[in-house]
Amino acid sequence: MARSMEELMELIDRIPDESAKPGEFILPELMAIAVAHEVRDDDIVFAGTGLPMVGIMTANLLNAPHALLIYESGICDGKTMHVPMSVCDQRAAYMSSTLGGLVDTFGYYLQQGFVTLGFLGGAAIDKYGGVNVTSIGDYFHPTHRFTGSGGNSDIGTMAARTAFIILQEKRRFLERNDYTTTPGWWCWDFKTREWKPKKEVWKGTPFAHSGPTAVVTNMGVYRFDDEGILYLETCHPGVTMQQVKDNCGFDLNVAMVKGETPHPTYRELFVLREFVDPELIFLPQKVEYPKSIQSIIDD
Amino acid sequence: MVRSREKAKKAEILTLEDAVRKYMHDGIVCAFSGFTGFNRNPTAFAWETVRQRIRNIHVLDRHGSVCTWLLNAVGAIAIQETDWMGWGEMAGKLDVNLERNYKAGKVILEDYAHGAMAMRFLAGAIGAPFIPYYAPLGSDLYNPDYDALGRAGMRDGSNPRIARKKFIQMEEPFFGAGEVILLPAATPELAVIHVAQAGEKGTARWRGVGTIDKEIAFACDKVVIVCEEIVPEAELRKHPETNQIPYFTVDCIVEQPWGAFPSSVPYYYDYDAPFMRTMDVASRTEADLQNWLDEWVYAPGSWQEFIEKLGVKKLLDLKADSVSGYSMRMMRGRKPAPRMTMPLSVARSGY
Repeated sequence: MARSMEELMELIDRIPDESAKPGEFILPELMAIAVAHEVRDDDIVFAGTGLPMVGIMTANLLNAPHALLIYESGICDGKTMHVPMSVCDQRAAYMSSTLGGLVDTFGYYLQQGFVTLGFLGGAAIDKYGGVNVTSIGDYFHPTHRFTGSGGNSDIGTMAARTAFIILQEKRRFLERNDYTTTPGWWCWDFKTREWKPKKEVWKGTPFAHSGPTAVVTNMGVYRFDDEGILYLETCHPGVTMQQVKDNCGFDLNVAMVKGETPHPTYRELFVLREFVDPELIFLPQKVEYPKSIQSIIDD
Repeated sequence: MVRSREKAKKAEILTLEDAVRKYMHDGIVCAFSGFTGFNRNPTAFAWETVRQRIRNIHVLDRHGSVCTWLLNAVGAIAIQETDWMGWGEMAGKLDVNLERNYKAGKVILEDYAHGAMAMRFLAGAIGAPFIPYYAPLGSDLYNPDYDALGRAGMRDGSNPRIARKKFIQMEEPFFGAGEVILLPAATPELAVIHVAQAGEKGTARWRGVGTIDKEIAFACDKVVIVCEEIVPEAELRKHPETNQIPYFTVDCIVEQPWGAFPSSVPYYYDYDAPFMRTMDVASRTEADLQNWLDEWVYAPGSWQEFIEKLGVKKLLDLKADSVSGYSMRMMRGRKPAPRMTMPLSVARSGY
């Protein structure tokens, strides 16, 4: 039965915050909720279009209601009712604190050091969290050309922590990128022409200790060890460690794995489906709730 | 570059056709307003530029848009100095036309990043020749070997709008705060800026995000304002704090309702994501692209005829709500937008 959004809002606290079972959710939902779990209530988040945006919007409705969301076109703390399709969407600007432009977001907010969490996509990543969104093959004669940096390289190096969402394939999880758009914990020093830890290359700048802290893929969630090297933290439900290793182009550390990525809870799924993306712009389909949950909604 | 001026500009009001004829020319360096393909793109101006067959354009801009999509569709762009070669985010993303032209060696692509481009235009706007920025050390964006304009021999100082270097990395000299990147100011010849309202003298106002349009207006030699409506200057002077562009920067005003379609003008109309998707699909093959151009660019007799061709239903669906500034009637995904009176985050947790 159709309910108004206000009536649905009343239901949120009645939907159990218990893990959903396999088959009751789809991979994009699991990934969006995994993104949401990265956001803390006291974060200032600077996110890109797509799944990062959906994830942080979900966090803003559940586990991090006071997290402040910045979108690069100039939006500070928008209170969004309808999921934006772009970081300049008027939907993202609704009820914002202030509206400015790129100089505000990249200068006053980001370079000034206010941003605590960046959330970005990427086409390929190296074992140190360096991200490529530019090209594959020779830079001037690429076999694949992607869109290029956008805000990726700025946000991914100046936010205190950055999380990336990347489709995991052997050719996208690499020892070294063909092109580094956004450097990770090790990077090339163009002055001395050496591969060095980021904290040496960036020594003295305000951002020497800022960088990637998490990666969410279609197969698992990853973090970085003290050397700045990527390791597997959890596998998504139904994914084996062997599948993860088979889809990684370097010798992946799986010794620190903590088991399965937490399943989304029914309440998280309810908020994601009914409030974040009810228009099915990012989510490919509407998934049926189990009977016990549907009966609460229909009650 | 800084331009010492003898006298104030006086803005003229022209038709779209006359403004393009007067202000665009082969080989121009120009910038367009808005954000990607979604917000305040001066589409009508770029569309007319294609129709007048202006070529060899150097777009110095922060990212692709409906404007660059149109110009790349006919190969009118020779140099695209940009930070994002996409145009449609969730409605197309990569500019297939640009990719095709780039791989064929027909266009020079110079990569920067979004923050870097914002800083370059800020420098241009305040008359500074360059600006320091903590652009990422170790990024191939600042790889001295990856300087496309330098490689093409175009950084010899012969073109005053092309800097002698893509960037310079140096030790921060005042506070000892590590290595910093110096970026050259961005100073195109022409800014084309789509706004909601302009006074007859040139004062301009938009609602919604500012992107980088004020900086572009000051960084460029000449400014064409395309507006949804020309309103009395007296009206804009009642709330001057909500105006962004002072009239003394403006050379020309064009009144062109729906001139930013398929991008949005907040509080006027929303973006048309399905239309952008059809553009993206058409660009996948050269035959489809030619058909699309014939139908949508060359066949209409004017921009008004282009808009009439969209039909009343489409325009009603896109018409923005006066409170939210966007449309809740438009079908963007697989389901209609729900009606809401309050954002959930505010209802549950306040601000």
